[in-house]
Amino acid sequence: MSQYDDVWLVIPAYNEGQVIADVVEGARKTFPNIVVVDDGSTDDSAEHIASTGAHLVRHPVNLGQGAALQTGLTYALAQPGARYFATFDADGQHQTKDVETMVGVLRADEADVVLGSRFIEQNGQVPWIKQVVLRTAAAVSPTARKLKLTDAHNGLRVLGRAAAAQLSITMNGMAHASEIVGFLAGSGLRVTEVPVDILYTDYSRAKGQSLINGVNIIFDISLRERGRR
Amino acid sequence: MKYFWIQLLLILGSVSMALMFIRTWSQAKNRAWKRIAFSVFVVVNVYAVLRPTDVTWLAQQLGVGRGTDLVLYVMVMAMGFLTLNTFLRFRSLEKKITDLARTVAISEGLRHNDARLGQDAAAPAAAAAAAATVPEPGPAADSDSASDSVKA
Repeated sequence: MSQYDDVWLVIPAYNEGQVIADVVEGARKTFPNIVVVDDGSTDDSAEHIASTGAHLVRHPVNLGQGAALQTGLTYALAQPGARYFATFDADGQHQTKDVETMVGVLRADEADVVLGSRFIEQNGQVPWIKQVVLRTAAAVSPTARKLKLTDAHNGLRVLGRAAAAQLSITMNGMAHASEIVGFLAGSGLRVTEVPVDILYTDYSRAKGQSLINGVNIIFDISLRERGRR
Repeated sequence: MKYFWIQLLLILGSVSMALMFIRTWSQAKNRAWKRIAFSVFVVVNVYAVLRPTDVTWLAQQLGVGRGTDLVLYVMVMAMGFLTLNTFLRFRSLEKKITDLARTVAISEGLRHNDARLGQDAAAPAAAAAAAATVPEPGPAADSDSASDSVKA
């Protein structure tokens, strides 16, 4: 029994076999409830996840990180006693102490959704080119401005049950981050940012999104509402 | 002014493409129009093969020099519609696959995790048992009810 029995960590994983078991076991020291969504990995991720105490959900085919997050949230919502839902990266760049802080904010009923931000307190760990691009993205995005966000593309988020149940991610790929912000802006939920530390290890750097992928994200988002049939 | 008619035609084509992109029509209506368009295409095709000079005449009426040029313009338009149609079709397919894969993943996951983590500790086992009997409140998502029924 831990004080975090009502928290579920949702970790989307795609070909993270090298690190996933360590990340999951590290997080499980604090958070007993973890669901890892193996997004159709072609490596041995599933075996590594199965060796841990985390719940494993496997997409039969690779669908994308957004789809994996939605699957994990849907799964966690169905678990008894789940009240808080944290999205957490599989590559070990997020830290559980940040999640504890964020859950604390939700428990104090200061917000319905807490987002991690790399920019509230400058810690000099974010590569400068990435800073420029991410800050620009936050500044030009009308929805991010509305919520006064400093970092619209942070993978670390904690949602209360109401928010998690309302959220429906339709962007399977990487555009889901913008989609989530857009949803939050229109939902009337209380959204807060909390400073988090991101560990830019060599592994996460190699796995992280390249900046050119931003073009894909902009394209996906602009087409999101078009011609739905 | 010489090119007025062909310009009008091509611009109308582009605009209607944009409209098709933004608006959502009912499936059946849409399909009916595509079938009509295809039938017209076949008829015009046969006619143009039999009487190529008529195409040139039409092209000149529209301000285009040769019939070949007119055919080229029309083809560019048709190509645009085709691309758009394929794109929309792919996207709706992708959504279906996602829903399907999610339902499978969750129902499989529930089954395996109950077996795998059930004996882990006493408390989670009780929780798992509760999960198996208590109908899940669920986020009211449609895909969920499907996974529930599979589990049951």
